[in-house]
Amino acid sequence: MKRLAALFLAAVLSVGVVRAELELPEWESAEESGTYFLGGGLWPKALIPDVAAAEENPAGSEESVESSLAAAGIQFVGPPAPGRPLPGTVVAAATPPASGVPAPGAAKFYGPAGEEGAGDPAMQRVRENPDGTFVVPQEVVEEEAYEPLPPLEGDLADLYFAHAPVEFLIDPQRLLTEQKSNDIMRFLEFHAEESKIRIYVMVIGENQKVPEGVDLQALHQKWFSEDPAVTMLYYREKPELTELVFNESIRNTLPKTVFDRILQNCLREGAVADLAPDQVEKMAIELSIQLYWLSRLMEKENPADSLLVTGSSVHEMMASEDAPELLREYAPGIFIDETSKIVSVIVTLVIVLGGLAMIGCIGWIVMWWRGRESLSGEPLLFPEFALPRRLGGEFCGGGFVGMSFELNEGTS
Amino acid sequence: MKCPRCRRPIDHEAASCYSCGYSEVEAAASCGTNQVLLQRVHDAAHCLRKHERDELGEVLDFLELKFPQMLFCAYLGSLPSHLSISELGFWLLNHGQVRGAEFTRPNENAILVVMDLTTKQVGISLGYFAEMLITEEDAYRALNAARPNLVNAEYGDALERIFLKLGKVLEKQGRKLRKLTREQLHATLTGRYNSVLDLPPHLAPMLPDPQRLGKSSPIEDRRLSA
Repeated sequence: MKRLAALFLAAVLSVGVVRAELELPEWESAEESGTYFLGGGLWPKALIPDVAAAEENPAGSEESVESSLAAAGIQFVGPPAPGRPLPGTVVAAATPPASGVPAPGAAKFYGPAGEEGAGDPAMQRVRENPDGTFVVPQEVVEEEAYEPLPPLEGDLADLYFAHAPVEFLIDPQRLLTEQKSNDIMRFLEFHAEESKIRIYVMVIGENQKVPEGVDLQALHQKWFSEDPAVTMLYYREKPELTELVFNESIRNTLPKTVFDRILQNCLREGAVADLAPDQVEKMAIELSIQLYWLSRLMEKENPADSLLVTGSSVHEMMASEDAPELLREYAPGIFIDETSKIVSVIVTLVIVLGGLAMIGCIGWIVMWWRGRESLSGEPLLFPEFALPRRLGGEFCGGGFVGMSFELNEGTS
Repeated sequence: MKCPRCRRPIDHEAASCYSCGYSEVEAAASCGTNQVLLQRVHDAAHCLRKHERDELGEVLDFLELKFPQMLFCAYLGSLPSHLSISELGFWLLNHGQVRGAEFTRPNENAILVVMDLTTKQVGISLGYFAEMLITEEDAYRALNAARPNLVNAEYGDALERIFLKLGKVLEKQGRKLRKLTREQLHATLTGRYNSVLDLPPHLAPMLPDPQRLGKSSPIEDRRLSA
């Protein structure tokens, strides 16, 4: 029984071994198998060697690649791969002759230390014309092109203009980089904490336009009628088109030239940078500074608005250079101008001269007091004592001091 | 100290000038041995106006009240050529008697301003006591202060100024003497500390001080005084 079972097992296994084969993936259709080629589309088809030809002539695979490149009209212009000779060169023998003299027919080595320009990839692209001139291929650098943005219509326009903004940076299209957006957002929040005039930055594409039915001034009034704010409409990488929308109350407080100057300063700052995020950042900072001076100006111009600016305490911010000039033009009283300096100098001089005069007077009084001829009325008694006599005089010994008061004579 | 005639230095106890032999005898021989009566302001030249004399009198009254021991007087005259104002001052203080002067104001306490309008000279003669209080420098300063008035012939004002300056000196000297002890006072007034003429102390034997007897020699005293 056991013998029968062993014979049966051996027969089954031998049949299984004979019938066994590897299951490989198969193309669903014959057309698809022809369209697939190595490299996933990264390489031109002509560069993919024929597998069958490679099997038939494995030694001539290199020539077949070159021939296939030539047949495809592709000329090899790049540097050779490491270990591969240049096209059109013959590979030298693996072992150079011991004498060091190159064998006849052996290829030259075109390296950095070899013939001129042979090893330089840039020089390899230079082609020499028969007339002796050279053709230098120009590298074409493709500029980063933005995707064309859709017009501000429908839902996209609603994202901008349908509701009052919740955040200070309104960029639903994500036109700015994430990092810069966060930075600008933090800065605008900081500004809102320090100043009562808030800044809202609205970013749209360079080719987008505000819909005709949207009036930014009216929207601004609608959204920020209670809290003073400034809306800055920024066109991507076109800072010259930037618009600033102020509250009507602020705009009525000061002349138009003030706001024009603010806009000019912001545009000037925006023009410094090339990229949109940097432009927005610089313009927002400049606008914040200008609003600080604007609040100072309003405080001076209209005392009724002092309540508006009491919360403005962005003193730590650096003012733009022309901001004082702007203020000096409209509010000279808040500056220490030249006249006050002159007055202070005059006051200082008067104080110094007065002090000197006082010191002189005191000195003169002291001198006069010491040299005065008045005497106190208290009688003064001297001690009496006996004195020796001189020259036989009973009362006087000839003590004498004389002087001439003739004009042309000295003292005696 | 200088001789009134030859203006040479003399010792403070010399009986006569070592140079010219001048002494009170010589002065009496030339000017007289008699006593003369002087006004407090004797204007022999008649150069003072009444109001000047009155004002000067008030100043002198004040000074006499202030210094009850001192005698202030002035003589203005035109002296003959052979008589100098120093000789006249020496003779007047020894032979003159100022009218109204009390016995408490002897001539040795006198300050006599002598003015010769002929030679345009002015001088101050001091009695023994007064010259102990007023140094030559102080007297010269007083004269110099009055020089502008003298040049402008404001003799009354000049005399006022001279007397007031001397009064200031006396007041200062009096305050200074109050602070001194008896020994220092005696040494100061006898000129042991400050010799006016920068002459060495007299070498004659001095009266021994009972307190210092046997303790130090005169040479040591001289060293101390130097």
